[in-house]
Amino acid sequence: MPLADVVSAEALVESGGEGGSRVAFAHLALGREPDAVVAPGSIEEVVALLAWAESNSVGVIPVGTGTHLEDRRPAGPYVVLSTERLSGVEIYEPADLTLTAKSGTRVGDLARVAEEHRQWLPFDPMDVPNRTLGGLASAGVTGPLWAGYGHLRNHVLGMTVVCGDGRVLRLGGRVVKNVAGFDLIKPMVGSRGRLAVITSLTVRLFPLPAVDKVLLLEGAEASSLLPAARAMATAPILPASVVLSDSRDGGSTLLVRLHGARETVDADQRTLESHAGVLFAVAEGSQATELLTATRDAGADAAIRLCLRALPSQLGALLHVARGPMAGMNEELMADVIEGSARLAWSGATTDAALVIEELRSGAESLGGTVTVDRCPVGMDPAALSSRLSADAREIGEGVRRIFDPGGVLL
Amino acid sequence: MSQVTSPMSLESRVTPVPRALVLELREIVGEKHVITDPDRLLVYESDGLSAYRVVPRAVVLPASTDEVARVVQVLHTAGIEVVPRGAGTGLSGGALATEHGVVVGTARMNQILEIDAENRLARLQPGVINARLTEATKSFGLYYAPDPSSQSACTLGGNVAENSGGPHCLKYGVTTRYVTGLTVVLAGGRVVRLEGGAGEPYAALDLVGLFVGSEGCFGIATEIEVRLLPMTEGVRTLLGIFDTMEAAGRAVTAIMASGLMPAAMEIVDQATIRAVEASVFAAGYPVDAGAALVVEFDGTEAGLDADADKAETCCFAEGAREVQRATDAAHREALWRGRKKAFGAMGRIAPDLLVQDATVPRTKLPEVLVRIAEIGEQYALEIANVFHAGDGNLHPNILFDRNDADQLERVERASKEIMQLCVDVGGTITGEHGVGIDKRDYMPLVHNETELEMLRSAKRVFDPDELFNPGKVIPDPVVEP
Repeated sequence: MPLADVVSAEALVESGGEGGSRVAFAHLALGREPDAVVAPGSIEEVVALLAWAESNSVGVIPVGTGTHLEDRRPAGPYVVLSTERLSGVEIYEPADLTLTAKSGTRVGDLARVAEEHRQWLPFDPMDVPNRTLGGLASAGVTGPLWAGYGHLRNHVLGMTVVCGDGRVLRLGGRVVKNVAGFDLIKPMVGSRGRLAVITSLTVRLFPLPAVDKVLLLEGAEASSLLPAARAMATAPILPASVVLSDSRDGGSTLLVRLHGARETVDADQRTLESHAGVLFAVAEGSQATELLTATRDAGADAAIRLCLRALPSQLGALLHVARGPMAGMNEELMADVIEGSARLAWSGATTDAALVIEELRSGAESLGGTVTVDRCPVGMDPAALSSRLSADAREIGEGVRRIFDPGGVLL
Repeated sequence: MSQVTSPMSLESRVTPVPRALVLELREIVGEKHVITDPDRLLVYESDGLSAYRVVPRAVVLPASTDEVARVVQVLHTAGIEVVPRGAGTGLSGGALATEHGVVVGTARMNQILEIDAENRLARLQPGVINARLTEATKSFGLYYAPDPSSQSACTLGGNVAENSGGPHCLKYGVTTRYVTGLTVVLAGGRVVRLEGGAGEPYAALDLVGLFVGSEGCFGIATEIEVRLLPMTEGVRTLLGIFDTMEAAGRAVTAIMASGLMPAAMEIVDQATIRAVEASVFAAGYPVDAGAALVVEFDGTEAGLDADADKAETCCFAEGAREVQRATDAAHREALWRGRKKAFGAMGRIAPDLLVQDATVPRTKLPEVLVRIAEIGEQYALEIANVFHAGDGNLHPNILFDRNDADQLERVERASKEIMQLCVDVGGTITGEHGVGIDKRDYMPLVHNETELEMLRSAKRVFDPDELFNPGKVIPDPVVEP
């Protein structure tokens, strides 16, 4: 049966049509054209598409905005399932601080809705306003604000998903505390679309802080800011986020966000300054916004992006590792000081990229850490370049995958 | 809920484990750490939910991951079910023994293995008592956030199994947010280190998050790594007294809507206030009050008075009769006493207490509480409410006498109606106590058969022969006649 008989005409997306840019990006990341791009408008259409795919031995790759597709190298026929038509807020009860939205809803759109009620989603991964809520959950990324608010995975309260074989599951619910059954949301968050297609999600919102104070410390290079950065991670108060950024030509910056009432953030600033033995500048208004956005989105267009992680106390050694093989590569480095991670992005020469990544990985692993490659050029395999999962984690993870997608439809 | 009683002698209620097997287990953990004496086994016949009682065939108390692995290997090879047990404070019968099973207790695994203050992490054995971890980390200026009401007795292993909450989880989140790694013993004694969640290698699924809250059905956590938080500088505790429960509920909504983030927001109703005030735990709450609301803020000292002022204004605006503010640690303890001692006080006015647990969207609290009172009247049962109002987590406590068969049946029917009510308004059947055996039959209220089958499949990923804590959490499949 042809695909056109299974889904509506509106669901069949032309590459150059509505949402074309997203699709184009998907093509780029996936290395070759999909056999079709389908944007289902309902759960039923998702179910129909997956059933069709399974019976025709066609793979399916769910796509939000296509930020994390670099590891897909479909060998056989495949379809891109775009969630762009699964969009919109379904339930928003501000007094409950919970919001249910379809998975293709842009986070920026949700932020605007929540802001009307002085609420927000405290997640700040790269390019967050343009990404979809489902894509964010699927990628399992939170951003440096996890330090003050916890990870996204702890704030996804419920999900409706369609398994690879078409089963529809409602996981979790709409309440903030819920232990009715095993927590299948946790493996879903961060599963990169390999377990099931997320069609809607309920997330916990937070009250917007009265003041978002951005503290700034500048230095010639990251190493000069390292003692102050580390002091942020051992201070008696926990900032909302702490990011140490460094670029070859732009110098280094330590950005610390403090959230709360005016008198609280002022007192917290004094506590941090006395603990670190430094005096911060305070970034205000548009300067603060620009700094935060620039740090958050640094490397968004880079050809290669990866993340090195170790214990927070190893940050200095990790930065040393990160800088080692990078000479002359004009890279950006953003370290999440509380997490003990460093994101690296570079757009320059990629000829020796595999060798460079291998050196980075071996350095991070010698510190007991890991490297995760988020983006690399077509032709390189990010899974092979990243730190490997243990055999046990692979085996159990494969078992979990089989119960969601027994036919292996989701690539 | 159903009562399990038997006129049979204790010996005849226990199917002994074959002698050769006992010897094998004793070889692993030592002579005195395998309990087979029926009188001593009686201690393990129930957990905090005493309505269910099954005497285990034996109890084994290993001291290390290696011992747990060998014990599980021996038992599973013999086809014997393993029921993991921490301190046995659970309120859903999750640690209830099975007729054919052996209980593996973590009481001897009580070592804090490492406190890494620099990285705010701790590694510990599962038998460590929750409050002891905070006690041990205090000198580093750190603490462990999840604080279940039973924290002076419950173990971290039990907290991991149940994904426990507590009053301060309103601001800080439940156990799963703090567990960063686990060493677990799975079917057949296989030892696995689970990672996942944040800081994962490429394409890892969050298996730690999946294991937390699995109620002993996947395996036994033998080493737990947790994240610690810096201790807060200050705290402000308020007690609002309201004429009606509805007004207290409105105050909760108003406080949350004002943008404040209290560390805890707890309500006790009139029935509870009266029980507490008539007990040795009397906290000075006025007995004619309809409800008392405890609100607590913590954090940087500088902002706390302003937060407390704002909350106080919300309380008065919603009709609070009075609002007290703790002036020192002793006063704070007194304001909390009516909440913290509620369960103990209720024990004095009825022989048995069923501590229910459900969550509803916070805005539905007022209407749900009215309906719960009606259900109590309908079944002629006294229901006292103590709950985590900030996150809509209700604990309707039904007072009864287990020896009254008619009353017991009414308790069962009222419980089911309360669960249905909570589900109908968009809530769920358990917020923090777990499903265990008690809520197993209510699971179809929140999950259809496809979803239940998915949960069964998830168990089989970890425990293919279903030898860990069988019969818990998931009801048996419906078999077509």
